[in-house]
Amino acid sequence: MSVDVEVVPAKPSDGGVPAGRGTWSLSWHGLRTVAVLELRQRVRSTRWKAALIVWFLVVGLITLLTTGAFSILAGNQYGADDSYGGTVYSIVVGFVLFLGLLVAPTLSSGAINGDRNAGTLATLQVTLLSPAEIVLGKLAAAWIAALAFLVASIPFLVWALVGGGVYWVALLTTVLMLAVVLGVVCAIGLGFSALVGKTSGSAVLTYLTIGAITAVLPILFGLLVPATTTTESVRVWDVERGYTWEETTAPECEWQTQEIDVWHSERTWWLLAPNPFVVVADAQPLNGDPETLAEDGNMLAMLQYGVRYARTGNDGPQDWCSGYVMDSDTAQPESPVEPVQVTDQLVWPWGLGFDLLLGAAGVFVAVNRLRVPTGELPQGTRVA
Amino acid sequence: MTPDGGIRAQGVRRSFGPVHAVADVDLVAAPGRVTALIGPNGSGKTTLLLMLAGLLTPDAGSIRVAGADPVTQNYVARSRTGWMPDVFGTWDSLTAREVLTTVAAAYRIDAAAGRARASELLELVHLSELADQPAHVLSRGQKQRLGLARALVHDPDVLLLDEPASGLDPRSRVDLRVLIRRLAAEGKTILVSSHVLTELDEMADDAVFISRGRTVATQSVADADRPREWRLTGLDTDALVTWLDDNGTAYRREADGPGLLVELTGDAAAAALLRSAIEAGIDVSSLAPAGGVLEQVYLALEEERR
Repeated sequence: MSVDVEVVPAKPSDGGVPAGRGTWSLSWHGLRTVAVLELRQRVRSTRWKAALIVWFLVVGLITLLTTGAFSILAGNQYGADDSYGGTVYSIVVGFVLFLGLLVAPTLSSGAINGDRNAGTLATLQVTLLSPAEIVLGKLAAAWIAALAFLVASIPFLVWALVGGGVYWVALLTTVLMLAVVLGVVCAIGLGFSALVGKTSGSAVLTYLTIGAITAVLPILFGLLVPATTTTESVRVWDVERGYTWEETTAPECEWQTQEIDVWHSERTWWLLAPNPFVVVADAQPLNGDPETLAEDGNMLAMLQYGVRYARTGNDGPQDWCSGYVMDSDTAQPESPVEPVQVTDQLVWPWGLGFDLLLGAAGVFVAVNRLRVPTGELPQGTRVA
Repeated sequence: MTPDGGIRAQGVRRSFGPVHAVADVDLVAAPGRVTALIGPNGSGKTTLLLMLAGLLTPDAGSIRVAGADPVTQNYVARSRTGWMPDVFGTWDSLTAREVLTTVAAAYRIDAAAGRARASELLELVHLSELADQPAHVLSRGQKQRLGLARALVHDPDVLLLDEPASGLDPRSRVDLRVLIRRLAAEGKTILVSSHVLTELDEMADDAVFISRGRTVATQSVADADRPREWRLTGLDTDALVTWLDDNGTAYRREADGPGLLVELTGDAAAAALLRSAIEAGIDVSSLAPAGGVLEQVYLALEEERR
């Protein structure tokens, strides 16, 4: 045994490192060190591999069942008709996102408090890694792990694309959006993991946050309908006054001004925007009229059409008549009411922006919590 | 070595909510010496070491470690400090070698040098044979040795070892002692906390006793001029007692054995006592220090506390 300490060339006090690196200092070397450490830890645990295999099988099964069911329903060979291609694609995407939202929190919500409980966090903190390197390295590792699940789903997304009805470029936007959303979820989990002592606690909080943006906000949107509905005088293209519906002649249409309830969904549409499903759906390029595609059962198109419709709102004149005067002999008269032009303004940048802010908040909280020397400690935790 | 190297802590305090883990600690550990940090469970040793390692902010007081303030110059202080925690958590799926290369990378040592350093340290703590085994198969003592190697990766000036000997087998304890003495001889400052006082007796130069978060005594182990108790046994205890009474030497009977405890100052006094006993024809079978210096001081302090 020998203590030949001169072997180490980069002795820190010899100026081999910068004189001081702050909490937010970042280096590629530091990030990679932490990420590699995390991935080695994770990849070698067989549970993770098993989870990946189960994922592959489940997504595969769902794809198979969906395509099978729709080919039978459509009564023809798969691929012969693209009317249900979009449906299959949107179901698979929705399912992958759903599973991703379930899996991603488990990848990061124990990354910091788990290490703290195992006594391995402080041993990283005393080294020359900055808190930002530790947090972002862990985030990178969790994200890469989440992306592995996404990559495992790509074959099935491609398979669903073969059914037609969707642009090939949609695969790119879907995968990109799914990747970003999963990254955001990992970042939120990391934030809670730094904030809460128990890994179970941080997992629950992460799920609750995801639940809030996917379910609670849309519910709130629904509950706010009475509050955003106002009674206004609106010009209505209505059936002529005094028409009894017992006459044999079709009613005449005429302009009337009526006091009716108008729902101003354009005031609350943003509650829908952070929803990951909305983000993914809204970023889709559609190969046709969204309304038609939505009617064909392409759920992504439906969602996109829905949120953009909500964003547009409708307080213009309404047509309550044209539908009634149509009969077999006479051509439907031209309605004087312009149909609502659904906005082509994008919803997803707002939603994704909000989600990214949440993720950034998670990272910020985590870095602050890992600052050394520590002043405040979270309740019930030890430094080491 | 910086001129103001070593560890200096003055009036250090830290509380967690209502608990005053460290209430008032003064501590000086000089370069080239091994300083023992001794105190009962819950006396604040670990908290103090966390502050010295730059992981915890003291509520009050000043600390300098290897010439840097861990609060204001945290990065510099960390780069010069090696810390071995009492509870050694390890990355279970990594091999012992990977643990060390990872830590080397975390200390910004380049990969090739990190690998060389890892092999060298594995050799040093006798883990070369287990180098490529995952860390979770290591026994507690082996993990403890890996923890020590990890604290040495970046060749720190100051070493903070929290209970390094716990879980070590006798052979490893001897190795640890030799290694620590050697590191001290190289001019490093070493602060060791431990409960195994006899162990510390053999490796420490100085000792700092803390109790309930306060420094209660500071003492040099090598200090020969302090009186300490020696244990004296003879073939005929009654004859021995009579001789001591006649001689006017104060003694007390051992609570749990046939020995008599005599307070003597220095080895010369012991030799003199032994010579006069033999000259008086008393059959002395043994005369040896009763317990270690540190143990005696520790127990004396415990007495005071009661």
